[in-house]
Amino acid sequence: MNTRLDARMIAAHEAGDQAALVALYTEAAEAAGDVDAHCFFLTHAYVFALEAGAPEAAELHARLKKLGREE
Amino acid sequence: MTQPRTDLTNVRTSVDKANGLPNPHYVDPAVYEEEKHALLFTQWAGLAVAADVPEPGDAKPLTFLGQPLLLIRDKDGDVRVFDNICRHRGMILVEEPRKIEGAIRCPYHSWCYSTKGKLVSTPHVGGPGQNTHDAIVRDDLGLIEVRSHIWRDVVWINLDGQAPAFEEAMADVIDRWKEFELPLYHGGADSRFELQVKTNWKLAVENYCESYHLPWVHPGLNSYSRLEDHYNIESYGQYSGQGTNVYRQLKNENGDTFPDFPEVGAKWGEQAEYIAVYPNVLLGVQRDHAFAIILEPKSTEETVEHIHLYYAAPQTDQSLRATNTQMWKTVFEEDIFVVEGMQKGRHVAGFDGGRFSPVMDSPTHCFHDWVAGKVQSYREGRIAAE
Repeated sequence: MNTRLDARMIAAHEAGDQAALVALYTEAAEAAGDVDAHCFFLTHAYVFALEAGAPEAAELHARLKKLGREE
Repeated sequence: MTQPRTDLTNVRTSVDKANGLPNPHYVDPAVYEEEKHALLFTQWAGLAVAADVPEPGDAKPLTFLGQPLLLIRDKDGDVRVFDNICRHRGMILVEEPRKIEGAIRCPYHSWCYSTKGKLVSTPHVGGPGQNTHDAIVRDDLGLIEVRSHIWRDVVWINLDGQAPAFEEAMADVIDRWKEFELPLYHGGADSRFELQVKTNWKLAVENYCESYHLPWVHPGLNSYSRLEDHYNIESYGQYSGQGTNVYRQLKNENGDTFPDFPEVGAKWGEQAEYIAVYPNVLLGVQRDHAFAIILEPKSTEETVEHIHLYYAAPQTDQSLRATNTQMWKTVFEEDIFVVEGMQKGRHVAGFDGGRFSPVMDSPTHCFHDWVAGKVQSYREGRIAAE
């Protein structure tokens, strides 16, 4: 993960900005080099979307499920 | 076999001969612990009011007798009570009252639960980025739900899960007040208050359910509600209290009153009743408003009284409501010195539990009889288990 994305993530965590966390972890997932790292970040995006009741949760769940990482 | 901690033989005799509960029932932490199980965990106890979580997603953590619970209104509007811990590592899930927008996320490893308690996500449980594992069956690992029931907006819980169904356990008092089975509207922020009282919770029940003390402790009532206008209410094994035949509605300077509960019938025009529903809920009904007091036992000698006032309509006059709240607050505050004074008195080693007025104290005796019966049953069960 590049340092700029990392810094934005830390800032979003500190601010408790769930919408930003969903977006930033999704961005990190897209940039990940392998499928495990991709799913790791996608999982975080999904969990924060789930907690926030955000509409992205359904799509993130579907992507993880397609990869065999969710029920 | 261990000896029972107290002798209750003379508590369960007739009111003219009985003594009150022995001192240890008010001052001994070991008896408090025993009563926690005998009187509160095994019964339908008052926890909170549904108005504490008015909107779907509202969640309020509570500690009841040391047990962390989560009161929540789920997405469909049903009020539920859960153990406030994650099924993974037993971490507390919700620390402060807040709105659950989507799922309840454990702050430790982020296991997530729906507002209905279903386990919906177990991130990395099978390794990084792998969120499932054959050993983790989500359907078996939902939040532990505490048996609960809403009646008169009070959230009643049965922690051991063994009590009869609420409607069965409370059938008599529900029938007694059937005319009041109508929508109740909490008066809002100005219609709730708490009193911190240095007393065992049972003394608050005992003082509430008898009218004997009214002319002495609440002299302001004498002008319109004399002792002879009151009657005792006793249902042995269930509840006790007192009623009045001269309830007078509060009026503002224009003569306006609160709206009546519709069709409560001629019976309730000037009649009002105040009942202690055992173990720890004190209820009052009048033609135009009602209240619920939930006694929260904090320790052997500390209780918090949570008071909530309700009306027959969602909108009522704010000024009249504030006056009504203040009136009841004054009445309940007038009772503090007696429940705290009786608590101090329980440290006199030679006190025999006291004697009752056979005429005026029978609602209190009814409560003591219930306490003694439940404690005796609990002790017998413990002995049988040994």
